[in-house]
Amino acid sequence: MLTAAIFIPILAAALLALLPRDRGLGAQPRRLMVLSTIVAAIPLVLLVVAWLSFDGTGGFEQVETVEWIPSLGIAYRVGIDGLSLPLAAMTALIFVVAVLYPVDLRGRPVAYFALVLFLEGVSIGLFLALDLFLFFVFWDVSLVAMYFLIGAWGHGDAQRSALKFFLYTFAGSLPLLLAILGLYLATEPRTFDMAEIIRQQPLAGTGLYATLVFAGFFIGFAIKTPLVPFHTWLPPAHVDAPGPASAILAGVLLKMGTYGFVRILMSMLPDVWAQFALPIAILAAISIVYGALVALAQTNLKRLIAYTSVNHLGYVILGLAAAGAAVTGQEAAQAIALTGATVEMVAHGLITGALFLISGSILARGGTYEIDAYGGLLDRARGLTGLMALMAFASLGLPGLAGFVAEVQIFTGTLAIWPALAGVALLGIVLTAGIFLRVLGRLFLGALPERWQQFPDLGRRELAGLGMLGALVVLIGVLPAWLLSVVDSFAGPFVGRP
Amino acid sequence: MSPLLLPFIPLLAAGVLVALRSHPRLLGPIAVGALLVTGILGVMEAATEPALHLAWSPAIELTLAVTGFGRVMVVLVPLVAAPIVGYAAATERDGRTRLLALLLAFVSAMLLLVVAGDFVTLLLGWELVGATSWALIGHGWRDRANSEAGTQAFLTTRLGDLGLYVAAGATLAATGSFAFGGVGIAASPWREMIAGGVILAAAAKSAQLPFSPWLFAAMAGPTPVSALLHSATLVAAGAYLLVRLSPMLSEVWWFLPVIAIIGAVTAVVGGVVAIAQTHAKRVLAASTSAQYGLMFIAVGAGSTAAAGAQLVTHAAFKSLLFLAAGVAIHAVGTADLRAMRLGRALPGVAVAAAIGALALAGVPPLGGAWSKEAVLSGAVEASGALASAVLVASLLTTVYAGRFVLLAFGRGGAAHRVRRPGAVEMAALAVLAAATVVVSGLWLPGSRRLVEDLTGGVLAAGASWEIVAAVGVLLAGGLIVAVLNQRGRLADVLPAGGTRDVVGDWLGLPRLQHRLVVQPTLALAASLARADDRVIDAGVRATGRIAILVAGLASRRLDVSIDRVVVGIASSSVAVAGASRRTDDLVVDGAVEATGRAVGRAGHESRRLQTGLTHHYFVIGAVGLVAIAAILAAGR
Repeated sequence: MLTAAIFIPILAAALLALLPRDRGLGAQPRRLMVLSTIVAAIPLVLLVVAWLSFDGTGGFEQVETVEWIPSLGIAYRVGIDGLSLPLAAMTALIFVVAVLYPVDLRGRPVAYFALVLFLEGVSIGLFLALDLFLFFVFWDVSLVAMYFLIGAWGHGDAQRSALKFFLYTFAGSLPLLLAILGLYLATEPRTFDMAEIIRQQPLAGTGLYATLVFAGFFIGFAIKTPLVPFHTWLPPAHVDAPGPASAILAGVLLKMGTYGFVRILMSMLPDVWAQFALPIAILAAISIVYGALVALAQTNLKRLIAYTSVNHLGYVILGLAAAGAAVTGQEAAQAIALTGATVEMVAHGLITGALFLISGSILARGGTYEIDAYGGLLDRARGLTGLMALMAFASLGLPGLAGFVAEVQIFTGTLAIWPALAGVALLGIVLTAGIFLRVLGRLFLGALPERWQQFPDLGRRELAGLGMLGALVVLIGVLPAWLLSVVDSFAGPFVGRP
Repeated sequence: MSPLLLPFIPLLAAGVLVALRSHPRLLGPIAVGALLVTGILGVMEAATEPALHLAWSPAIELTLAVTGFGRVMVVLVPLVAAPIVGYAAATERDGRTRLLALLLAFVSAMLLLVVAGDFVTLLLGWELVGATSWALIGHGWRDRANSEAGTQAFLTTRLGDLGLYVAAGATLAATGSFAFGGVGIAASPWREMIAGGVILAAAAKSAQLPFSPWLFAAMAGPTPVSALLHSATLVAAGAYLLVRLSPMLSEVWWFLPVIAIIGAVTAVVGGVVAIAQTHAKRVLAASTSAQYGLMFIAVGAGSTAAAGAQLVTHAAFKSLLFLAAGVAIHAVGTADLRAMRLGRALPGVAVAAAIGALALAGVPPLGGAWSKEAVLSGAVEASGALASAVLVASLLTTVYAGRFVLLAFGRGGAAHRVRRPGAVEMAALAVLAAATVVVSGLWLPGSRRLVEDLTGGVLAAGASWEIVAAVGVLLAGGLIVAVLNQRGRLADVLPAGGTRDVVGDWLGLPRLQHRLVVQPTLALAASLARADDRVIDAGVRATGRIAILVAGLASRRLDVSIDRVVVGIASSSVAVAGASRRTDDLVVDGAVEATGRAVGRAGHESRRLQTGLTHHYFVIGAVGLVAIAAILAAGR
């Protein structure tokens, strides 16, 4: 079933690629969109089914294995646990909405939908992969697909931004590859099997070798996340990417970095993680405050949201650092920090994904991301205003919405470990409140300028897509038990909570 | 009966209002009816004290319970809100549905806050109260100044909310759970963190110094909004939290003294501000800060019972005064006290306002006098300094209460034609005036035990000289007002000019905050953003060079591993090849074609970045990886 969730969209992408571009289905963008949405929804359905049969008794479940290169210890292995299942399901949902969402296809609908579906399979595969080699393949291929999405369907200086995104994150994946090989060479017997490496703990302790391997992974994941000061590729990539690609980039691709932190660094090199937990937490706190402050000064809506991503992913890393810190007696708080960080990955995916999609809709109507060009839009676009307000409040961590469920756990869990750092990080939620209330005021309130008298509200497809994300953001905010219990089945045992 | 019903019914009613927005006649009755039902339910739940536990996760359990002083609040909040919402339904024309629905949501959030039995539930209610107040203050959204005022109010109170996050985290660290019960058993240093966090949160929410100025910003909202958020909601949350939690934190030696000092300073300064102000709603707003200062004094003196009593009497008379001020503002079209004197024009409203002002000043036998007396007794027991602060604050209160009611509703104004309030407005005023009179029952025997039982605190045994002192203060205040009125200086107690503007605006505190907090933050943000942009620009060149350099160095190693993998795949995939070969070819072809295009483009771009030939290494690496992916896709 998990394998089907990965390969159905990839196969569909391959079939789409065979279509002639200028006749038949290839010349009917609308039918292509409907068809692609249906295909994109299949993994979501499969993952929901997997969720319903998920036990949460610890360890990986529903594992599917195919021998591949036994001599190198490489196999096709996929499975789920309380960490990967929510991320994979969130990924599938974001892709459904991204495919459904209207976008300027630039006359190349076939290639667009094929690429997005291909990227969906690859992204889900990355979260489900239980083999380091497989993980790395999915990791790199996702870069290539995103490169084309930004380069070919972006706007502004899209080519340059796409290249920069590719160069930067690809530079990050090289140390990642070295680290994987370094870790692999330490296993005995040699294997890329993640579950086996976690059991073996081949680099227990904090020697130089382990630290070097750690550094390789860390750079790779920190660039992808991105953690300050590795974040400079993010704003141009987002600004020039089309709305749905931005949503995928923020919602899914960034999570690959944070997921890697937990799945690989914290699980396979816990001693080194514990040794560096405090510096990592400091870096995270810097990301939180720096990202929020820089966002506060932005006048471009999409750049602003991009920098709030830096801020939010700082929360994630802060929670992870607290969860992996070497303290005893605070296991309850550490489990809460880890649960919070994981939920933040999901919440940020839904919320920021939606915010980027909304920015795309605003660009399509008004032709600019400059916040001060707008005003009073509440008068003309109630649906747009309502959904943007919902997502903005969710992003600033308002209770009753998904972001709060994540952030309250990160802050309180971290406070038990490093009270001062938690205090610094808390300033972030005042800043984000200032950022988003200002944006809401400038875009939607005040007098309506003459030029926006005909500003159209959201269309049906936009409302449907954002509505799905919004419903989930509210559901997680009000009744998160179904999600938190799954995440806790991973987080509790991970920190050794009695 | 579930305590969840209390916040749920107003929320449900808000949804019903939105659904029925095309039937404007139904909206007011539904909103008021829902609040009355909630109030009756509150009475029933206060008697049965139900509790509900909701598991969010194996580690987090939400607790909702009607207990302690919460038993009073679940009745007080909806019953005070009902006449205010009725008034709003009768007076607001623009966006009436939205206003009524938001008022109900606001009440709902407040009730959730009241029934919270742990810090997560408390935060839920606490921050939702703040967010709905943002929307309520910015109700007149076409004027951006209103939403900016809402933002100021929300940001200030959210700064205080951080204290609750700290308290929540410290409770978790100390006890492994978020329940309030853990506050009392938390060890040092967690106990101190909880204490500090609770003070911060309560002071910001209850508009104590140095946070008070946000209450002036909150005046941008319609009058019913001011009336509600100044009486039984929002501002009340801070004092309520202290009544609930302070007994468990009294072992922290500085906890009660700090609260008492904050309260004393705010009570005195707020009184001065109220006397200097000439804006009707701002006089009342400064008075709210000052009256909550009295509650803080009571808590700091260890008498949560007196604070609770003061909260209840204040809720009744302050909502009454705000609605009366709203009628006056509507009548003359300005909030300037110097333009009113409506006693002749609106005698009924004047009587209601006079009842409210007398209660505010603390004139027996009104309930406001009883609770002020209880606060004074508590302060006397704690320290002489605190007692004198209460007396000074009382004197100031008498002066601004008398000044307000004389300027707004005194006789002597020209009998100009004014807009008269409708029946619903008068009914709302009558209900609140009646409530103000009814709480005079506090003077009846047996009330002490009832108050102590309902608040879970104790009242100090008052000495007889206190009554004498209080009456003396009242008389002195009355005399001052009379003299000022006689000399025609009631409106301009301080001579008009720069000094008065500064004093009337919290002694210049907002300007100071703007200079010390807001401007530096924005300046820092702007300079960081510029620096970040420069890094990005430099990054386009530098990272390009570095990345390609790295790629060039690493690709040799990469090639080795790729070779190994490709060979491995090739040898093992022979068996699988048959069926998948066609797909394989197609996918690989497609991928290679696509990559070819990318190579061309990347090469072109790279040349623009002046990186020379090294990009070839990089591109080779990329091609290799794409090929692997394609083989993978086809080969399994």
